[in-house]
Amino acid sequence: MTAADWTTEEFMAAVMAREVRDGEQTAVGTISPIPASAALLAYFTHAPRVKPIIINSEDWWPFRGGSKEFYDFAQKGRLDLFFLSGGQIDCHGNLNTIAIGSPEAPRLRLPGGAGSAMLYYTPKRIVVFRADHSPAIFTERVDVVNAPGSTPPAVVRPGGPRKVITSLCVFRFDPDAKALRLESIHPGVSPEDLQSRTGFPVEASSATPITPAPTPEQLGILRGRVRPEVAKVYPVFARSAFRAA
Amino acid sequence: MPVLGHVGSDYERLRPDFKVIKDPYSGRDIMVVPPIAPEVSIIHAIAADEEGNLLLEEKEDDFLLAPASRVVLASAERIVSADEIRRMPYGLRVQGIHVTAVVHLPGGAHPTAAHDRYPLDEPHLREYIEAAHADSTFKPYLDRYVFGPKDHAAYLELVKLRP
Repeated sequence: MTAADWTTEEFMAAVMAREVRDGEQTAVGTISPIPASAALLAYFTHAPRVKPIIINSEDWWPFRGGSKEFYDFAQKGRLDLFFLSGGQIDCHGNLNTIAIGSPEAPRLRLPGGAGSAMLYYTPKRIVVFRADHSPAIFTERVDVVNAPGSTPPAVVRPGGPRKVITSLCVFRFDPDAKALRLESIHPGVSPEDLQSRTGFPVEASSATPITPAPTPEQLGILRGRVRPEVAKVYPVFARSAFRAA
Repeated sequence: MPVLGHVGSDYERLRPDFKVIKDPYSGRDIMVVPPIAPEVSIIHAIAADEEGNLLLEEKEDDFLLAPASRVVLASAERIVSADEIRRMPYGLRVQGIHVTAVVHLPGGAHPTAAHDRYPLDEPHLREYIEAAHADSTFKPYLDRYVFGPKDHAAYLELVKLRP
């Protein structure tokens, strides 16, 4: 199969679904239709034992005590995998959802980041995602850090970033170097193209592994079973993100 | 109040009211934040009864806001009897002792949703987002929807909502 056989959203969902482990608790936060698709794809394939938690959903939301109950659940250490994003993401795994420019006089005010300032620490593993990969987003240093990639040892932090998955590549987070390392490059993306669209050195070469493509089974389940579930929370996304079944 | 995470982020510099302290139990660094204690909260309820008891959306945290506030002004989609509100299965309950005043205001959540009554008004929210880009477009929006209608009934008529 080639890149013509899937949408970017389907590809990313399939890549992210591989991060979900059977028997673990996965949760998906706000404005996260691709992670929601990934969590459901995993649940319908290799990870059927635990239902994913999807915020703003009727069927995949096990709480009745407001968002407080979810945040308490996370702080208790019950989440194994969570997905986060940022207006900027830097080579140290720092996230910025506060402001572009100075926070006192921003060029662009972002939605705010207190939620991810907690949820970047408490689940065991965090996968960072971003569907548009550009030098302005993937930068050497974010303008403001609402959620740091790493913290000093004295800080209470049971979990942290493991992967960053974009429309072009997969980075893994190296906790010793406190930095992102290129793990694989998506099919059809050249090392030169990836470097020109990334604001920090990526060390891409012809020897870089290629990200495995979605299987026909994964694509079938995404378009058949996942799409109608995702449409209940993200109707606009579901109309454009999936090819016909 | 303690909150996990945050330590090592720019919240330490941007929010001087957020303090990093040593957790007296574990000896680790932890952030504490001041509680939010509003003078006045305005809350929209799924239902209210004659004793001021409220039934609130389960996905939101308004049920925490009410007991934390000095004054609570509630609007409600429906006013029902105390008996009836006890039997309603969906919603988080706030006791009337926390509530200062209740007004019957069907449609009061528009352009957002009210549970089982009406959905989010997506075209209206798109109009709002477009208008909010600049003062020159936002002022006509405010004139049309906020300052224009002479009362709530006129507003509902204007946005074609029949709650």
